[in-house]
Amino acid sequence: MLRIDASPNRITTWTLSWFLFAAGIALYFYTSHSRHIENPEDKVVPSLTQLAQGTADAFLKPDSEQKDAGPAEGSLPAKFFSSMLWTDTVASSKRFAWSMALLVPAVLLGLHMGMFPIIGTFFLRFILFFDKIIALSVLPILFIAFGIDELSKVMLIVIGVTPTIILDSFNLTKSVPPEQIVKGFTLGAHDFGVTYRIVMKQILPRVLNSIRLNLKSIMLFLFAGEMIASQDGLAFRIALLRRHMGMNVIIPYVLWVALLLFLVDLTMRLLNKKIHPWFREA
Amino acid sequence: MTDLIQLENIGVTYHSKKVLDSLTLSIAAGEFIAVCGETGCGKSTMLRLILGAERPTSGRVLIDGRELPRPDRNRGYVPQKYSLFPDKTVLDNITFGPEMEEFGLIGMLTPRYYRRRAELREQAHAYLRQMGLQPGDGAKYPDQLSGGMQQRVAIAQALIMRPKILLMDEAFSALDPATRGGMQRLVRKLWAETGTTILFVTHNISEAIFLGTRVVVLGKDDPAGSSKVMFDLEIPEESREPSGIVGRDEMDRLSALIEGAGLGEKLEIGVA
Amino acid sequence: MPNRALAFILTSLLVSACGSKPAAAPKPSFVVGWSVYVGWNPWYYMAKSGILNKWADKYNVAIRVQRFDYAPSLDAFVAKNIDACAMTNMEALDMPASANIDTTSIITGDYSNGNDALMTRHDLKLDQLPGHKVLLVEKTVSQYLFERALTLNGLEKKIDQVKLVNTSDSDIATAFIGDTSQDAVVTWKPMVSQIAKQKDVKTLFNSSQIPGEIVDLMVVRTDILKRPDGSGERFAKALAGAWYETTKLMSGPAGADTDKVLKEIAAGSEDTLESYKEQLSTTNLFYAPQAAADFTTNPEFKTKMNLVRQFCFNHALLGANTKSVDDVGIQFPDGSVQGSKDRITLRFNANYMQMAAQGKL
Repeated sequence: MLRIDASPNRITTWTLSWFLFAAGIALYFYTSHSRHIENPEDKVVPSLTQLAQGTADAFLKPDSEQKDAGPAEGSLPAKFFSSMLWTDTVASSKRFAWSMALLVPAVLLGLHMGMFPIIGTFFLRFILFFDKIIALSVLPILFIAFGIDELSKVMLIVIGVTPTIILDSFNLTKSVPPEQIVKGFTLGAHDFGVTYRIVMKQILPRVLNSIRLNLKSIMLFLFAGEMIASQDGLAFRIALLRRHMGMNVIIPYVLWVALLLFLVDLTMRLLNKKIHPWFREA
Repeated sequence: MTDLIQLENIGVTYHSKKVLDSLTLSIAAGEFIAVCGETGCGKSTMLRLILGAERPTSGRVLIDGRELPRPDRNRGYVPQKYSLFPDKTVLDNITFGPEMEEFGLIGMLTPRYYRRRAELREQAHAYLRQMGLQPGDGAKYPDQLSGGMQQRVAIAQALIMRPKILLMDEAFSALDPATRGGMQRLVRKLWAETGTTILFVTHNISEAIFLGTRVVVLGKDDPAGSSKVMFDLEIPEESREPSGIVGRDEMDRLSALIEGAGLGEKLEIGVA
Repeated sequence: MPNRALAFILTSLLVSACGSKPAAAPKPSFVVGWSVYVGWNPWYYMAKSGILNKWADKYNVAIRVQRFDYAPSLDAFVAKNIDACAMTNMEALDMPASANIDTTSIITGDYSNGNDALMTRHDLKLDQLPGHKVLLVEKTVSQYLFERALTLNGLEKKIDQVKLVNTSDSDIATAFIGDTSQDAVVTWKPMVSQIAKQKDVKTLFNSSQIPGEIVDLMVVRTDILKRPDGSGERFAKALAGAWYETTKLMSGPAGADTDKVLKEIAAGSEDTLESYKEQLSTTNLFYAPQAAADFTTNPEFKTKMNLVRQFCFNHALLGANTKSVDDVGIQFPDGSVQGSKDRITLRFNANYMQMAAQGKL
């Protein structure tokens, strides 16, 4: 069975690919059950009912200490949009969106660095160095420069992820075949024409994929920032819930974040496919 | 009249290895010059010097009497690979040059562009037909076409600019023999119709002989040394048969010359 | 062939996973968790100097000491990965209460007498705080101190108008010092000392104004104490014995010997002798077991615990579904219970402290 050319049939494939999920869930509930026998109110490994309660609390109820709480009674959507989870999601998403927007100049810088040797020599060495700086370790500098509010959270993400994006963009630019660039000139384009209409267009789908691969990094820095100092956000809530062992709410939060990440990745993948139908490497 | 292209005492050195040394060559307008030689003899380098994609370490490259160290719209280019923009359709590939030249980067955002675009696309379709492609191929992307079709489009893309010189670097070397033959006949026909000066680089001597009014063979006396012009032969049009294939007698003369210089095995004698 | 190898590997993995219960150790072993704080650093010294081992051997148990960050130590205690843990009275109430883990405090180590403070910049006064932001670790003693500061100054109605920014303790000093636009911060030493050094920063309130309300304890899981074979009790005795031997050394006559001990204790968190002594000066550490026992049995203590449990209830720290502050019970050394008698999750036990005072350990 363990052969390179041995592909399992439909049923085996289905069973195999779901096996680990089933095993994990089974292991979880087994652990939860044994802990609950010892201590019916165990919070560390919540039972199904506790999880259900936690999910309901997260998805439908506002933060218990929020002064301007939403409607106590109302339709499901109304409740959801004033819920703790939703307010946290909105707060975190704003920061996420800002940092994604700031990636655009990063991509453009990498492109210009690759195309114009003067710009390349000016920036490359420094960015290679900067790339090795672990953003979290320069927190003190970050706080002095940007404070501890929204700006610093976005900057933490940017400092953490931008060098990678710039270098990726740079390398992608450099790997465009020189024939294409010469072609561009012979067809009447000048430096910027070649840069934007030929090279940029070619590397764009790969750049989008590179950003997709860095989504987790972006989330990681976003979470780090929120856990360090924040008034709202998904990671802020998880840090707080920890204080009273709210695992039954933390677990739904974690799964929700995973879902959001998955959706963002999927959207980017589909968008890439739509705008760049010619790109076969998906 | 100055020749269109003049190479004066060209020297090119890569990593302290002299590839070309004291090379002098002149090409007149309207010539179809085929440059042949074994791999590594510097023929592609010579093409790139004329193209403006490379600068000589010593000597001058003169185009119409001027040094033009940058590729420009007067020197068309058809490389062996990566000859088309993968992110554009066939039609967009062909209209790229005219659009770029007429509108530039900013102009493409104006409404005038959209009106003119239709006209340019008509022109492009004409070229497609001339190249033997179907109108439906216009909407395809390069990776949906065969190698031969891609090179046809590349030639159309270059010719629509009406360049003074067309530089083709091993343009057919990656194609299968059958397709290659068709392409060779196509290029000859285009040269006859447009009168564009063509510089064609190949390592296949038979291809060079079939195509060129003049065949320049580069080679090295000493394998570790630099290349020089071994042969510079005019092939009179009269010696060709109506189909374009060089006549028996002329072929024997050429073969004798080449064998005589000991280059027989080094040059790929293949399809003509 | 490859299939057999694979089968073998998988089976051995399964077998080792199943049969991983350790054989009964000859000596019952226990783990004590601690985190860096002036009142808890001595645990590091006890382990390093061998004092703890001496007492453990005396009672025929094995004790291991493990250092954590504060929050993870609480997690480990609640998850039953460690048997005893150093924590404040507030956490000793919430964590077990919300997870229903019956906990007993066996040593009352000290109370914060200035270690926790509320500081502001730009001459901001207490009554000016509403509308401003305060950096602190939410739902901990810092928030408690903050509310007490406002309440004691008649500003309890305004508590809600102050915006809290949850800031992790490891970064709070850097955050406040770095971002000079921040007006207010509540934290504990040594961060407090660092921040106080900044110009334009004044202390508005500190724990010496609420003595006895922020208490540091060593707690043990009650089910361990109640072990039929008595190993839990022996464990507790060993802890108490080692603790009071150490505090005796710490409170010896001023001089080179005492300094040596203090220096080694300070080294547990890479701190200097001077800095540690400075922190000790704002800590009311019960060096003598009798003082500790007296504090714990004093009726005043119940009043203070009541303030603490109210705070915890108000902030849903006793458990998400608690309906009243009396849903959980706190038992005091005299047997009296604050709250529900059926659900006692925190017990104060003065026995071990008293035994130490009487030299019976």
